[in-house]
Amino acid sequence: MNDDAELLERIRNGAPDDFAEVVRRHQSRVFAILHRYERDAHKVEDLAQETFVKAWRALEQFDGRAPFEHWLSRIAVRVALDHLRREKKRRNEIGLPELGEDALEWLRSDDEKSELDGRAAAEILDLALRDLSPADRVVITMQEIEGRSVKEICAATGASGVAVRVRAMRARAKLKRALKKLVKL
Amino acid sequence: MNERKWKQLFASARNEPAPAPPEAFATDVLRAIRREGPAALPETSSVFDQLNLLFPRLAWAAVAVIALSVAADFGLTAAGVLDLGDGVSQISAQWLLAPNGF
Repeated sequence: MNDDAELLERIRNGAPDDFAEVVRRHQSRVFAILHRYERDAHKVEDLAQETFVKAWRALEQFDGRAPFEHWLSRIAVRVALDHLRREKKRRNEIGLPELGEDALEWLRSDDEKSELDGRAAAEILDLALRDLSPADRVVITMQEIEGRSVKEICAATGASGVAVRVRAMRARAKLKRALKKLVKL
Repeated sequence: MNERKWKQLFASARNEPAPAPPEAFATDVLRAIRREGPAALPETSSVFDQLNLLFPRLAWAAVAVIALSVAADFGLTAAGVLDLGDGVSQISAQWLLAPNGF
């Protein structure tokens, strides 16, 4: 977005209040990314704020070679990864939440036509993905839910193509095992 | 879990809407940035600010020049070459004894 370049130039030239416009333009995308890793809306808001504050601090490092949106998404993914690492420690202490009726019914059903709504699907995935390491979770979420390519995942995580492919394969196997475990609950 | 269910699970999760950012979200972000202190805001710096930033380096450079000069003076004296003090007295004598004076 060319407008972003002009806006960022104005901010660099001493108009810090214009950063609010940057936030308004990109907040929906940042919320969407973070929501894949955290279901609590208040926490998503805190993480989005952390993302923008980090972007502000690193603004001098943005060289404009890639679109600002991609650069900001990378920061959001890193914020999500740090959050998952912190949460993993905490969740080990407080235990797992329970699945809702709809989600359990779908998991146990063999019916080809059984419906699954977005909320129940996110509930199942949120629980099953807790068995994965934060890095595995980021890779599988980006690949399977966001539909990102390996190249895009590499750009967002800083990992090599081989590392992303291997991690994705391993994460898929672990997720299948975790889902099987949920069916038996 | 079979492939069909696997695909259905992700497709449904993809459709879950993300929470909408609150109205005042952008203002809250700016407030958080301001809370970090003035250092977080890029400001145009004056010549004095820049000198202030350079001060430690300038001070060390000045110390290095003085140390080099003193070392050179000692070195030249030890080598038997006229030292700086002699040079200065010679020059002042030439000025004082100049035929036309000042």
